[in-house]
Amino acid sequence: MDSPGEDEIWADMAVIFPVFNDAPWSEPAPAVDPALWESFVRALAKHDMCELLEDIMVAKISEHLLEVAEEFWARVTDQTVLGFDRFKQAVQGLDRDSANMLQYVRRIEDMRRMAGVTRKIYGIDDWSVLLKYLIRATLHSQLPVPKELSAIGDFYALSFKVFYHQEKSSREFNESGEEYHCNGCVELAEDCKCDQIIASFHFVNRILIKLELLERLAGDVLTSLMHKQIESHVQDTCESCYTMCFIEPLEKWLNSVVVGWLNHLYSTAPECPETQSKLITFKRKLNHLLYETYTMSRIDQLFNIIIEYPESSPAITDLKLCLKKTHLRPVLVEKLKATLGKRLLHPGVNTPDIITAYISSIKALRDLDPTGIILETCTNPVRQYLRGREDTMRCVVMSLTEEGPGDLADELAYGDESNQVETNWEEWLPDPIDASDTKEDKERQSWDIISMLVNVYGSKEVFVHEYRNLLADRLLTQYSYNTEKETRYLKLLKLRFDDSQLHYCEVMLRDVFDSKRLNTHLHAEPNFGLNQQELEVTCMILSAQFWPVFKEEKLELPEKIKKHLEIYTKAYEAIKGNRTLCWKPHLGSVNIELELKGRTANYTVTPTHAAIIWHFQEKDQWTIDELSGVLHVPPTVLRRRIGYWQTQGLLKEVATDTFLLVEDSAARTAKNVAASDAMMCEDDEAESIMASAQDQREEELQVFWTYIFGMLKNLESLPLDRIHMMLKMFASQGPSAVECSLQQLKQFLDAKVRDHKLLFSGGFYRLPK
Amino acid sequence: MAQNVNPSSPSQLTPEKVNGNSGQPPLDNHAVTKRLHKELMELMMRGEKGISAFPEGENLFKWVGTICGADGTVFEGFEYKLSIQFPHAYPYSPPVIKFTSQCYHPNIDLSGNICLDILREKWSPLYDVSTVLLSLQSLLGEPNNASPLNPQAAAMWKDPSAYRSYLLSNYSQFYKK
Amino acid sequence: MKVTIKSWNGVATWRWLANDDTCGICRLAFDGCCPDCRIPGDECPLVWGQCSHCFHIHCIMKWLNSQQVSQQCPMCRQEWKFRE
Repeated sequence: MDSPGEDEIWADMAVIFPVFNDAPWSEPAPAVDPALWESFVRALAKHDMCELLEDIMVAKISEHLLEVAEEFWARVTDQTVLGFDRFKQAVQGLDRDSANMLQYVRRIEDMRRMAGVTRKIYGIDDWSVLLKYLIRATLHSQLPVPKELSAIGDFYALSFKVFYHQEKSSREFNESGEEYHCNGCVELAEDCKCDQIIASFHFVNRILIKLELLERLAGDVLTSLMHKQIESHVQDTCESCYTMCFIEPLEKWLNSVVVGWLNHLYSTAPECPETQSKLITFKRKLNHLLYETYTMSRIDQLFNIIIEYPESSPAITDLKLCLKKTHLRPVLVEKLKATLGKRLLHPGVNTPDIITAYISSIKALRDLDPTGIILETCTNPVRQYLRGREDTMRCVVMSLTEEGPGDLADELAYGDESNQVETNWEEWLPDPIDASDTKEDKERQSWDIISMLVNVYGSKEVFVHEYRNLLADRLLTQYSYNTEKETRYLKLLKLRFDDSQLHYCEVMLRDVFDSKRLNTHLHAEPNFGLNQQELEVTCMILSAQFWPVFKEEKLELPEKIKKHLEIYTKAYEAIKGNRTLCWKPHLGSVNIELELKGRTANYTVTPTHAAIIWHFQEKDQWTIDELSGVLHVPPTVLRRRIGYWQTQGLLKEVATDTFLLVEDSAARTAKNVAASDAMMCEDDEAESIMASAQDQREEELQVFWTYIFGMLKNLESLPLDRIHMMLKMFASQGPSAVECSLQQLKQFLDAKVRDHKLLFSGGFYRLPK
Repeated sequence: MAQNVNPSSPSQLTPEKVNGNSGQPPLDNHAVTKRLHKELMELMMRGEKGISAFPEGENLFKWVGTICGADGTVFEGFEYKLSIQFPHAYPYSPPVIKFTSQCYHPNIDLSGNICLDILREKWSPLYDVSTVLLSLQSLLGEPNNASPLNPQAAAMWKDPSAYRSYLLSNYSQFYKK
Repeated sequence: MKVTIKSWNGVATWRWLANDDTCGICRLAFDGCCPDCRIPGDECPLVWGQCSHCFHIHCIMKWLNSQQVSQQCPMCRQEWKFRE
């Protein structure tokens, strides 16, 4: 048979490819006689028209695809149909259209095989791949704005819900009222659509995977859907529970539920070769997402986690692991810094609470980050803030005793050893990126709790100085001979501070201990006559050189008491030859019994309080000035002390500065008349009886100047650092040594240069001639 | 901990460090440093005119002293430097004091050694740096010519104006006015 | 009203009955202790010579021990004899 000519070819083409003559694509391609097909192809090959046919096919498909895409997106965005069905119908349509086109694609493929055509179109030599390629390209060229794509989200959200529900409960029904709703599809139980939904889900996925459209159409939707699932799951399971490790259960959940669903999703088209690698990529992404979500939630709760430490240590353990797997360390530092500032560093929080939180932070953060950098960075503002509060040091020292927040005794013993642990060089790691090079950071080696507390003030000297003042306060105002506890703390402190610094405290405690023994001894010796005295006198005998300087306060005691004290002094002199006592009349504690109309009351008060009430025996009305005259106590101080008796309802201010004794209990107007018989007076115990350390600062700088003058006089000229070193060595002695940083010294010296007291040239200071 | 100790804290003045050049037992050093710190403080606080001293370096046992010739004497306006070395038995033994500036004086030899009884047999633990320096200052104006270390100076002492002009022409480097 | 003082627990500092505040030898306060002691008072007492000068016992003993020839008071150079 002769091969057909060109005209015949065109005629055959119209029969074999009716779509070329605008026949609808939806009609099935007509059956073709194999003999006709064979001669057609041969003629094509002869006339070199194979490629022309291909070109026409590509053009036709492209033309048709524009309509297909338009229709597809119209279905997806059609607001009159429910989201789930909308997407399903669109995909169904797309499937039909692509099947129609595929019939003709098969003919082209057949033709290529027969005619041996090998050319590539758009770099593709496989026509079924080319078709998918064209479909994807055209769909994307018409992609609507994301918010119109809600149908895709709806589709997957519902199917995930159904799946999740099935996985969890294998169909439980919600018992809300009489009507049972399916937890998956939320339909009435008898109308449950779960099976249909699952079927649709499989159907749609199979098509999308086949067309390689799944990731492109639904990738973002799936990711954000799963992100949401992860977020809500993390929130539901871990929020405000810090006492459990969650990483493992979370990973399990992710694997069984989320990844399970993904497996399910891809399992509909197992024949697709790239499925496995796509799945692995997805899993990795989800794992990272899980860590990030969990880390962020822990970071948000970090303040509470810190406060609840060590109960919350599982949460810290999790966070520690998470920080290694994510890049959220800087976020953590910033957020925690901000939270600490917001929650702690304002006038509404009292100092012990700040210190408690600070201690918790130290404990929790050194667990979280053993390099101490997070701790250093986050708590630096706390330290700076605490430095500005007046009662900080008092609270810090208190916290070393049981009165304060948390018993730190263990810490005293613990910290130092831990610092000495030599790290194995093989385990050395470089500092994390957020470690700065400043000096403070270099010194962060010692970041145990005690050091961190001491660091609030920058120097051990200042700390010990304050400790001594507080110890003196406690011993004298509590007036307790029971020094066992204090001795124990002192022993612990000695582990951490120079012995020479604490020597003074040792003598103080020793004084109290010796006084107790001496009192017993003096009272047991009948020759001294102490046991025949009308009132029992005991005394705490202090070694003045070792105690802090007392605030001077005068008090003229009643004659009778002075006599008693004199007898005690005589007894002391008798037993300790060549030594005598100097009484501090305003210090101590007095136990008195008041016989009032129809009752007696017992009080333990300071000597000043006792002396005041004593004088009301003589007459029941006194003015402040009169009392001040007999007691030699300034009126302002006196007024405060009288306040105590007013609150006890015993004195009443009948006219300005005039006080009357109120004996009749019915007439007492005080609010707190709870008739406890022995009351400790507490009005002014919060105020220290020691002179303030700051008063002495100015004077001490002046002392420095005499030293600087002396060294320059003899050594001619010295550079700054040498002067500083010499001052540290020779001028900083004793328990209340002054600290002067290099920077402070420089300022001080430069001021002297400006005053022409010093000359400065070539880096050396010298005295002017 | 050890590395964190402030190197200038008193406990770091260990016997090994301050002892250095002598083989004496270190048991007294704490007491001696305490006393020397105290003396230094008193000296600084008092700010006596015409005498002064300060540790030379890190070693508290070695000081540099300065004395000025008293007004009205031939040494008026002259300023001399001394080295003061405290023994470990201080204050039970006297400090060893030498002039490091050349002082032309009947009781001071050419290498700066001083002949003064309170620095030898008449030493008492009640003396301190300032009493010794004050004694040296008055020694300048009132030498003991009976036992001179510098006989030439002792001979010249009789003529104060000749003595002073000798000082001014030969030792003007110590003249500070 | 009648006030009965049951007990008076006072506070006092002790001091030596000496005519000076500091020991001439160690320059430290009599009411403190000599540089070799840690606890003042009973453990570091004062002693008086017949010349009526007084020192920390440890200080004067060290001085006397360092004097081979004669035992003199560092203050007045009279022969040192302990006051009974």
